[in-house]
Amino acid sequence: MSNLVYLMSSLPSLSFEEIPPISLSEFNQDAKDQLSGKHFHIMESTDIQMDISNTAESGSGAVNILLSEVYQDISELRKAKRHNRQAKLERLPILVTNGNPLVREKQIMHYLWEELDSIESGKRFSMTELMVYKLKLQILWRLNSFNIDAGAAVLDSVVNPSKKEEVQ
Amino acid sequence: MAGLKIKYTKTERARQKKILKVSERMLPLFEAMEKSLMASVNSISERIEQIREQIEQNRLAARDWVAVMSDSWVDISNFISINKIISKPVDVAGVRVQQFESVDFELMPIGEETPLWVDDAIILMQNQLQLLAEIKCLQEQIVLLEEELLDVRARVKLFENRRIPNAKIAIRKIGQKLQDDERLTIATAKVVKTSKQKELSP
Repeated sequence: MSNLVYLMSSLPSLSFEEIPPISLSEFNQDAKDQLSGKHFHIMESTDIQMDISNTAESGSGAVNILLSEVYQDISELRKAKRHNRQAKLERLPILVTNGNPLVREKQIMHYLWEELDSIESGKRFSMTELMVYKLKLQILWRLNSFNIDAGAAVLDSVVNPSKKEEVQ
Repeated sequence: MAGLKIKYTKTERARQKKILKVSERMLPLFEAMEKSLMASVNSISERIEQIREQIEQNRLAARDWVAVMSDSWVDISNFISINKIISKPVDVAGVRVQQFESVDFELMPIGEETPLWVDDAIILMQNQLQLLAEIKCLQEQIVLLEEELLDVRARVKLFENRRIPNAKIAIRKIGQKLQDDERLTIATAKVVKTSKQKELSP
């Protein structure tokens, strides 16, 4: 427990859309150094890109439910669009799904961030807080990967591979 | 023409007249073919420009959200690739070319947890790849049409600068030669007749 307190106290605080103050590998290394094997395994298996077909694999129940419901909503949005019908969402507010693909992803990430905030509220120095920290860090790294030039280069590499070869 | 040997015979003159007649009939056909090929090449070039503008418009429309394609969670290049470009043979200005029909894509199934932007990116990429494939087909058409155009232009020049003038010169020269020969024959006959008359007179 004291190690968890020490770990949580030593981690930099996170705020939405800021540049991540710590890398995921640094976070994992710090957690590995401070946590017991059992706790580290629980933390390590927590991932924001969860497999919704295997929701009971790890972590906090509230976190799993949140991620599972959000991913089910994403799946429902995809199905609704494919069949040209109104989506029936369980968790995501419909407003979050408006806007262009970039805005939509940011809104979904922001929604997840706020929900994670409410999950960790009142659970200071707990495994739940640690898992939420990891998920928030993953969100920040994901948002940080969105870049116009890099995105345009990815589009070019698929649409115009010869251009990419010329650049190389 | 200077190096050409002309047979100064009526048969040769008839042959040259036939060549001139056929050449004068063929020249407008080749000129029409040249115009038609040029018009086709121009309209294909315009179509390529239109497609390029469409590609640029699509790119600009996606500019607001293209940043999401560098998402660290997804490698979009795994989701889409081209199997083959489908085209059909058609005749354009008398030349057999391949006309773009569609693109057969290899699409990886999208998992339920895959971010939603992937769907939009695949649609955009399909559009752009189809337009680029159409440009490729059109460029190949232009190559074939330009090859034919060179051939037709060479024929037009051959008729305009060689066959028709040569035939005209040959006909004129043969005509002159035959006329001269005829005059010479008449003059010779007259001389012979006069000398015979002189011999007969006492």
